[in-house]
Amino acid sequence: MNRYLRELSVAGALGLLLLAMAIFAPGFYQPQPLLSLATREAPTLVVACGMALVILCRQIDISVGSQFSVCGVAAGLMAAAKVPLFLVVPAAIGIGALLGAINGVLIAGLQLPSIVVTLAMMVTLRQGLNLQQQGVFVNLPDGVQWFGLSQLQGQWLVVAIAVLLTVLLGLALRRLTAGRWVYAIGSDAEAARLAGIRPQLGTFLVFVVMGALTGFAAALNLVQAPQVQPLSGSGLELKVIAAVVVGGVAISGGRGNLWGVFVGLLLLAAIAPALIHLRIEAYWEKAIQGTIILLAVVTDSIRGRAPKHPARSH
Amino acid sequence: MKTPFLRFTAVLAALFAVLSPALAADKLMIGLLPKSKGNGYFIACKVGSDKAAKELGVDLLFDGPTDSNAAKQNEIVENWITLGVDVIAVAAENKEGISTALRKAQRQGIKIVTFDADAMPDARSFFVNQATPEGIGYKLMDEAARLLNEEGEFAVITATVTAGNQREWMKHIEERLKKYPKMKMVAVRPSDDLKDKAQSEATALMSANPNLKLIMSICSPAVPGAAEAVKQAGKAGKVKVIGLGLPSENRRYVHDGVTDSVILWKTEDLGYLTIYAAAALAKGELKPGAKTLKAGTLGTFQITGDNIVLGTPFVFNKANIDQFNF
Amino acid sequence: MSVATPTSPAPRAWLALLRRHETILLLVLVAEWLFFYWAGTSTNRRGVVVGFGTLDRQFDILRHTCEIGLLALALTPVILTAGIDLSVGSLLGLCAIVFGGLWRDVGLSIPLAMALTLTCGAAAGGLNAVLITALRLPPLIVTLGTFSLFRGLAEAITRGAVTYTDFPTGFLALGQERALGLPTQAWVFAFAAVAVWLLVHRTTLGRSFRAIGFSPEGARYAGLPVNRRLAFVYILAGFIAAVAAVIYTARLGQAKADAGLGYELFAITAVVLGGTSIFGGAGSVHGTLLGVAAIAVLKNGLASLPIVIRLNAAEELSGVLTGALLLVALTASVIPRIVSRLRPRPAPPVSVP
Repeated sequence: MNRYLRELSVAGALGLLLLAMAIFAPGFYQPQPLLSLATREAPTLVVACGMALVILCRQIDISVGSQFSVCGVAAGLMAAAKVPLFLVVPAAIGIGALLGAINGVLIAGLQLPSIVVTLAMMVTLRQGLNLQQQGVFVNLPDGVQWFGLSQLQGQWLVVAIAVLLTVLLGLALRRLTAGRWVYAIGSDAEAARLAGIRPQLGTFLVFVVMGALTGFAAALNLVQAPQVQPLSGSGLELKVIAAVVVGGVAISGGRGNLWGVFVGLLLLAAIAPALIHLRIEAYWEKAIQGTIILLAVVTDSIRGRAPKHPARSH
Repeated sequence: MKTPFLRFTAVLAALFAVLSPALAADKLMIGLLPKSKGNGYFIACKVGSDKAAKELGVDLLFDGPTDSNAAKQNEIVENWITLGVDVIAVAAENKEGISTALRKAQRQGIKIVTFDADAMPDARSFFVNQATPEGIGYKLMDEAARLLNEEGEFAVITATVTAGNQREWMKHIEERLKKYPKMKMVAVRPSDDLKDKAQSEATALMSANPNLKLIMSICSPAVPGAAEAVKQAGKAGKVKVIGLGLPSENRRYVHDGVTDSVILWKTEDLGYLTIYAAAALAKGELKPGAKTLKAGTLGTFQITGDNIVLGTPFVFNKANIDQFNF
Repeated sequence: MSVATPTSPAPRAWLALLRRHETILLLVLVAEWLFFYWAGTSTNRRGVVVGFGTLDRQFDILRHTCEIGLLALALTPVILTAGIDLSVGSLLGLCAIVFGGLWRDVGLSIPLAMALTLTCGAAAGGLNAVLITALRLPPLIVTLGTFSLFRGLAEAITRGAVTYTDFPTGFLALGQERALGLPTQAWVFAFAAVAVWLLVHRTTLGRSFRAIGFSPEGARYAGLPVNRRLAFVYILAGFIAAVAAVIYTARLGQAKADAGLGYELFAITAVVLGGTSIFGGAGSVHGTLLGVAAIAVLKNGLASLPIVIRLNAAEELSGVLTGALLLVALTASVIPRIVSRLRPRPAPPVSVP
């Protein structure tokens, strides 16, 4: 039980918030709005899972928001050109994986710092997309929204896919050798190398997976509305990094799990609607989010889960 | 080693050769500077200005910040001074901020027209005044009141809590609200100009306010976002959606009966009129003190003082939205 | 560079100097500048010489660059200690609001409001410092939190709705006029640059930053007060961000909660382009200055090319190219390491072209 103390405390915070909502704003609990909100957060959850892998490897990827937009617009343009959906989704995943592979080559292959590489990728991709698309929406043909199913089926399907993916990845991380590689590389790359693991290959693959998951998330976003906005995904990187950190994944790598990330994302996602229900003015939102992130890391340090090398950003 | 470089130079030289005649031509060159070029409001403006530019045979530049940003507007004015355009038409994000750069352009003999949002009066010759913030605010509020029979709760979705024009419009919406005592504004929420975020906000707004009757979006990406939320909630018709937006982004929802009306100050005409005014100014046909201006297919416009006034606002709805393809 | 080249000492010193990151960057900068001077200066359609090559334009570039340059200066010591500060752009916004509020709402005089704003910046930097040193939290996450917090406070204070304008002309001169031939704020920037250079390169305090960045444990064993030094670095960053906020307000004549949005990215890019290792321990202030200059010249030079202006996409193109430039600089910086790994034996001497 002690092993999951950190995850339980986040779950506790979420529980408190939900309890407060039950007392002060019971209107929060209505099935349809909750399902719609959950559907909106499903792509974010998929990206957050990828980010958790990256951070477990003691790396970071701040280009995911731009990757998400590029994949979304590319998939949207394909769908608008009447390419069938069963080809569009793999294409989005493929484009994402390719972008992730570029990051991976630079970071794992050339041993460049991930924060700078992905910073450069973030700016390049975003501005390149602006150059190409000039902010114009991509209108999608009929039959793309909800994979052509009814709205209710579609929403459940999107949420189910995201949760199932999280569970599978979470189990893989615990049970499969590849999963344990990730922890090993993140805890101590040198020790991992001595134990016969290839840290560079592992890191490269993690970035490819990150990109593929981002592409898949963009596809899950694509099917939720009859149009795609090129700006969608801007700011996504901060949201998922916050969810991962609040969920108890140590930024210094090697510690944390996907259950925590799942609960962390739920907590952060619940704040905006909770503020609306509690009738708190919008301009406090960013300040509250910042405080929650700081609180999460402060509790980490008090619990003694602080990184071995404080004051280093990596 | 040398060949690729030579080839690169050759390509560059060819590009110069192709573009330089266009630069040196006797055509008038007009720069149109919106507050933010990705915004539907200004994309519509561009459609109209392109049309006018074609009719008049002028060379049109259209560039602006990707987000509303006063500092970047100044830099674009500097660029256009470099190019030596004849007229700069600008929708000022910040009155004082842009005026220094505009005065510098005037000193170089460049004529200045403002549209949509004015600069300091001494930094421009004319202001093409289509929709005062008051006009937009009042029209939105009146349209909301008309749809709700002047009674009930409504919520507003904005771009960000800091955007200048949004705050201006909010001020006038609140002012006009006093005329309708039975209407109540329950919340104002930001969407960061993101359609997806607007959708989440609208969903939560509806569940938090069961008596909500209408959602008013005052930034263009939020109108389809709010409409999608209403559609998913199965509340089409029960919760009405109105806002400032583009026909192309909202056509589907208007036809589905989710979005009731999209209000646009026919910015297409605004762009058209602005280019006609700019061209007339450069040719010396429009001088201070003029009383009227003839603008192509739109006819003749009145000038009061140094304000060229564009007519009435425009409401897109089921009946007419298919006539517009921008 | 670690590869021993069996040549006479004099050419080796030359080679070492030539291979220094700063030298290469300087050459790139000069080439870039000359290119834009050649391609970006023209006689426009009205017969006026305009564009990159005019003195006016050069001064404009200087004017537009001071705030990002100051933030890059603030970040250099931070990154030398292997830390990072993502909150400087948000802090610029918060300080601009505090300054505007103190002057207009509280009614303080401009100098007093400035002094309090600088104190506020240092205090905000102090918050980062306390969380990072006393609680031993990673700077990336702490400053990610304060990145949201500072911007959020700026929005909450103004309720998103207040823009402070109508500052007195005497104050606006700081951002819009010239003094002794240069834009006024360039003098502030120059002073800050010299001060930070002296601090980093000529004092024991400055050397300790690199020692900490190289190995915090080692620095601790060597008897350095690591926590106090780190706290100093973050407080300094907050202070400089407040200076940038005042200059920003003077240049635009307005203080608004979105001031400095996204500036941290350009500042970090400039520092890294300038050769400071993001892993800490190595780098220089003059490198940062060159990095700032390279980005500023690229951005403004591109914007003065007629072809780019005709494409109506100066901002996007400069963004794409800045990103690409950063990636190329990073890749170039590891080439010597890869070459030396590929060739375990000493490399043959390279002839200087």
